[in-house]
Amino acid sequence: MSEAALRVEDFSFRYRDTKRYAVRHLSFEVPQGGFLCVVGPNGSGKSTLCNALVGLIPHHFTGKLHGTVSVFGSDVSKKTIADLSTDIGFVFQNPFNQLSYTANTVAEELAYGLCNRGVPRDEMVVRVEAIAHTLRLDGLLERNPLELSGGQVQRVALGSTLILNPKILVLDECTTQLDPLGSEEIFDIVRALNEDGMTVVMVDHDMERVARCADTVLALRDGNQVALGTPREVFGMAGLEEQGVDIPDFVRVTRALSASGLADGDIELTEGPTIERVREAMGR
Amino acid sequence: MTEQAGGARAEWLRGLNPTAKLAAVLLLGAAAMAFPSPVLGACLIVVLFVVAASSGMLAPFAKLMVGFGIPVTIMLLFIQGCYSPANVTFIADLGFARLGLEGVMSALQTVVTLLVFLGGFYLMNETTYTGELVADLTSRGLPPKAGYLVLASLNVVPQMRRRMATIQEAQVSRGLDMEGSLVSRLRATIPLLGPVIMSSLTDAEERSMTLETHGFHLNEVRHTSYVVVHHARADRPIVVIAVALFVVSLAIRIAALAGLIAI
Repeated sequence: MSEAALRVEDFSFRYRDTKRYAVRHLSFEVPQGGFLCVVGPNGSGKSTLCNALVGLIPHHFTGKLHGTVSVFGSDVSKKTIADLSTDIGFVFQNPFNQLSYTANTVAEELAYGLCNRGVPRDEMVVRVEAIAHTLRLDGLLERNPLELSGGQVQRVALGSTLILNPKILVLDECTTQLDPLGSEEIFDIVRALNEDGMTVVMVDHDMERVARCADTVLALRDGNQVALGTPREVFGMAGLEEQGVDIPDFVRVTRALSASGLADGDIELTEGPTIERVREAMGR
Repeated sequence: MTEQAGGARAEWLRGLNPTAKLAAVLLLGAAAMAFPSPVLGACLIVVLFVVAASSGMLAPFAKLMVGFGIPVTIMLLFIQGCYSPANVTFIADLGFARLGLEGVMSALQTVVTLLVFLGGFYLMNETTYTGELVADLTSRGLPPKAGYLVLASLNVVPQMRRRMATIQEAQVSRGLDMEGSLVSRLRATIPLLGPVIMSSLTDAEERSMTLETHGFHLNEVRHTSYVVVHHARADRPIVVIAVALFVVSLAIRIAALAGLIAI
């Protein structure tokens, strides 16, 4: 059995000068190439978990910590954030805060992490062009990143992380400030990367998207782990909405059909099968 | 791409190494300051005008030099010429005060030194990309953190201005009056400062996390740069001439102070 990309064991954390634990007793694993979506209402500990996965907890945010978080078997508390960044990339919510503010062009911004690693310029140019092509930034390379739209800046931020070739990508609500099109664009890129073998951990509020793409869903509430499993297992759980965790509309529809006796069987997570169920119900 | 000052005619100046340009500006300014008479500074100003003309930047350069030089010269000539305690040789009687030669020379020395620095930095600034200068300095041993401070400071200002505009628009849409007299506009600006400063602090926190996750603090790594640093054949001669001018000026100054020569 291959080593887990991420392993979280009985992890609890309380920020310094606060009384409440932001997360409590979290335990899960993400296999290499896995796609974990973290869901839950605001204040449920999703960002705290992301910060812990990339080592910002305990190196940047201090406080009371129990349990361990390991990346490819190494305890994050025993490595520096900079060292961890070779394995794990992090994309935040606000795209403009992910710019280095040292670059006058998108190309320089994309190359920023490579400069910090002492990568020779010739290699940088090749990698910048490649990542720009992947993220459809080719035409923007000479533009000032501060003059781009939110969606474009988020693609630049994603590019400046991906150019470092991380094995794991953590995205903390990175599409919330984007319009639906820009959001889908980012998500398509992330899904393609996952299909190519990259391990992805993503915090997202779009439950339809989570159900469609995640192979594991972790639901949090008030810092506690309320559900962990495949999308079907998690969204099929009774009482999840009562715990403040949203579920896909397709689950609601198929549940309602079943409850009314208009359809049989399990819940549906995606659009196509749900429409089929509705058609069947209308034919009865 | 933004329009570059001087266009194609400034290419030769743009092609010089940025550190060589910085060294030349500092050394020439220091030479003008060290030389015990305004003559050298005046000569250097002429040279700077020639450089500006050959780079297609004569008009804005002249505007800056005249715009700064005339008021400063008048002010310093009046203050030092009339009231310098070093005045012993009086060259004119203005009625309310007498103009002293020593004060006039001292004022001219200050003015030409300031103009050499101002003109030099202007030409350098117009033809040098700061990122290139920092990349070159970093490759020569400047700590990356110092380089970051320079670049980030330059880029954060426009970002704060943009944020200020956003917050201002939001406040105006809720009824904040930004029209009227200077006092009323100033009064309306004060409530904006809190949100701008607080949000900037929050941004700084997230930005520092970004730097960390991009390996800014990786140890034992010599940072490289994506920016191409220019080098030209003229770099060395320019720096050598600037060093020589500074050394000679300093030597003449010391000799004059020691009474070995009279200026």
